[in-house]
Amino acid sequence: MKNFNLTKYSKPLILLVFIIVLTILRPSTFLTVSNFANVLWSISVIGIMVCGTIFVFLIGGIDLSIATLCGFCAVVTVKTITYFHNSTGGVFAGILAALAVGAAAGCLHGIVITRFHIPAFLVTFATQSIFLGLSMIVTSNKIISCTEPAAFTAIGAKKILGFPLPIYLMILIAALAWYVLRKTEFGRYIYAVGGNATAAEISGINVRRSTVLCYVFSGLTTALGGVILASMTQQAMASTGSGYTNDVITAGVIGGVSLLGGEGTVLGAMFGAVLMGLLNNGLNLMSVPSTHAGLVKGLVIIIAVGFDALQHTDQARKKVKKIVKKEA
Amino acid sequence: MANHETILEAKGIYKSFSGVPVLQDVRFEVRRGEVHALMGENGAGKSTLIKIITGVYTKDDGQIYWEGKPVEINNYQDCQKLGVACIYQELSVIPPLTVAQNVFLGREPKNAFGLIDHKKMNEMTQELIDKYEFPLKPTTIVDNLGIGQRQLIEILKGLSQNSKLLIMDEPTASLSGKEAEMLFRIITTLREQNVSIIYISHRLEEVYRLSDRLTILRDGKNEAVLQKEEIVPAKVIKTMIGKEVDESAGSKKMLHSEDTEVRLDVQNLTDKADRFRNISFQVHRGEILGFGGLIGAGRTELVRAIYGVDQAQSGTVILDGKTLSPSPKNSILAGIGFVPEDRRNQGFIPLLSTTRNVALTNYDILPKNGLSVSDAAELEMSKKAISSIDIRPADPGKQVGVMSGGNQQKVVLGKWLMRDLNLLIVDEPTAGIDVGAKDEIYRILEDLARQGVAVIVVTSDLQELIRVSHRILVMRKGDIVKEFKNVEVTQSKVLAAGQGVAEEEEAS
Repeated sequence: MKNFNLTKYSKPLILLVFIIVLTILRPSTFLTVSNFANVLWSISVIGIMVCGTIFVFLIGGIDLSIATLCGFCAVVTVKTITYFHNSTGGVFAGILAALAVGAAAGCLHGIVITRFHIPAFLVTFATQSIFLGLSMIVTSNKIISCTEPAAFTAIGAKKILGFPLPIYLMILIAALAWYVLRKTEFGRYIYAVGGNATAAEISGINVRRSTVLCYVFSGLTTALGGVILASMTQQAMASTGSGYTNDVITAGVIGGVSLLGGEGTVLGAMFGAVLMGLLNNGLNLMSVPSTHAGLVKGLVIIIAVGFDALQHTDQARKKVKKIVKKEA
Repeated sequence: MANHETILEAKGIYKSFSGVPVLQDVRFEVRRGEVHALMGENGAGKSTLIKIITGVYTKDDGQIYWEGKPVEINNYQDCQKLGVACIYQELSVIPPLTVAQNVFLGREPKNAFGLIDHKKMNEMTQELIDKYEFPLKPTTIVDNLGIGQRQLIEILKGLSQNSKLLIMDEPTASLSGKEAEMLFRIITTLREQNVSIIYISHRLEEVYRLSDRLTILRDGKNEAVLQKEEIVPAKVIKTMIGKEVDESAGSKKMLHSEDTEVRLDVQNLTDKADRFRNISFQVHRGEILGFGGLIGAGRTELVRAIYGVDQAQSGTVILDGKTLSPSPKNSILAGIGFVPEDRRNQGFIPLLSTTRNVALTNYDILPKNGLSVSDAAELEMSKKAISSIDIRPADPGKQVGVMSGGNQQKVVLGKWLMRDLNLLIVDEPTAGIDVGAKDEIYRILEDLARQGVAVIVVTSDLQELIRVSHRILVMRKGDIVKEFKNVEVTQSKVLAAGQGVAEEEEAS
């Protein structure tokens, strides 16, 4: 019983401990609305992307192309907008073009993985390089900037009630992903496929189509992330979004999303993203030099994930014991 | 062999699992240079006995003697040291390595520099190959070899450790006829070289052909040890099943079925991989049709094709007059339910709750609020399933993966009871589950039949087959070889048909 409660509340508990520690250490700078807005803003792109990629994780796949696809979508957005002479209409065209590229990339991943039975790891590892190459070709490996129109720059910076727009977008996307996974028939199928694809297939679920759709969702949120990043920085280049694959996977794993599939929630993934944001923010406020930041980050992640893992191994051990007993 | 020296002897072996006795006072003796077959029905205790000899399980009581001396075998290493090697069904060879590298894995001969001496290793392997006349070459990459040859590598591995006793558990289960012949030849050579073999098989023909002696277990007890000349089909079948059992209730039945309205009509169904061919049969309204036969006779493959998990090469499946286009989704919509053979890997989603597992095939009939599934209706369905077939614990939120086998099976079956069925197919419905849950499952099948559902039961448990079936078809090597309809059926008759033993012989 004691274990059960600890698992259930370990995530909010860890957040609370974090907030308390940072409040005590930096009372004047940490516990302010603007700092919280800052933390959330800094994780909004990761937060949005993890909401799509969680579908891939749940189905037991992985998407290693997130970072470079995000960069390519940013490039596509900026290119499209400049093609339409930085008009407001061009912004819509740019967003649509990026989303179309993201969806097409996801569709491609899904089809190659399901039709040719190539591991997701390999397929997305290869396309990661393709997307990077495409960005380099399109931009001639230069930074392309886009400071106009206002409709574009507003996406990443416009503040509503003191919080920047990407935070609202993140909450909206998270709510959508939560709804699909928690409430719809399709969401239930995804957990079934990730938990046992053979049993799901026998239960009449179209495993291939579900898998392809999951990769499409991942492509779409990655594209949206690319649009927001381009707007935030008012530019795009091949390296836009670099490092995001790691960040998104880390956020998911910290949040208890199993990379083996079938286990994890949007709420958990968002927790992972927020924890990463707080961690970065805390290190920043504490003036930890960037040379040490990586080390500290890694340790904190191990501790946070360790809690969860301990619970899991405990449960797994019990499960194995039971099975052994029964099969004997 | 004239050699009567005992190499392994197990005496007074007792073993029980959670209070249920599995082995009782079992005595088992293997002589040097003999092929000793071990037979018994599923659950007779063969595997348990072998696992005790190889140190996987600890015995509750009894003593094992090796070459006349009492020994303690606590793990597989202990038994390897004595000179016993077990050839497992799931092979442990490593495909990218050569034959020689596999044979000497972890025990490679080293040269003066402490590096692996490949030349010597290949020579040593060649020596073994020559001695026992194996059709192998030391330098072949295992990846290029068939399953039969891979099995030979396992045997070589055992021989390279100077094993004097090899244990083969259903060695021909996944072999082709030609590969099996090769194995039989090797077994004969090994016997000539004074290697003893414990041979476990369900296939009587192999046992007749190979074994010098035969120990039969029944219900965890020694039933008989037969000498070579006593090993004749009729006698073996009778001993395995037990005469008294055959005449007691539940193992003999007057079958009764009426040709009511045809619900399922299977016409000339043929498998892509030739595991069954040209199968035609019908199932009537309210009829329970049992499929008997040995494991590997093609029954599982047949029902998978009917349900549409696998695509057949040719043939038609007609349900209530409508031709089905085979896919699980179409079958479900047509009112077919399917309980697969391998519960753990195919039957349910272990991480998900009873509720989610029960609802999985039923979202088309569950009410929705716009796009979202009604949690309340889902829960209600789950509670209905739990109460109607007594799933324990009666907790809709419990992960199915941690439940007992019987309750897992009830969840798998329960989801089909929540919708209107026309045909239910169950494959080994009670494998590995307790008696109480078994009875519950039989009751459900009988209830469904009474409601007019056509039911197909595939089972290797003869008692179960006779108990639940109204009519029985027996398959052998991909064909339906016998129908029992409105006649008296006994376990021996079904077993004989599945083994391809002629009826006169069986009757004698």
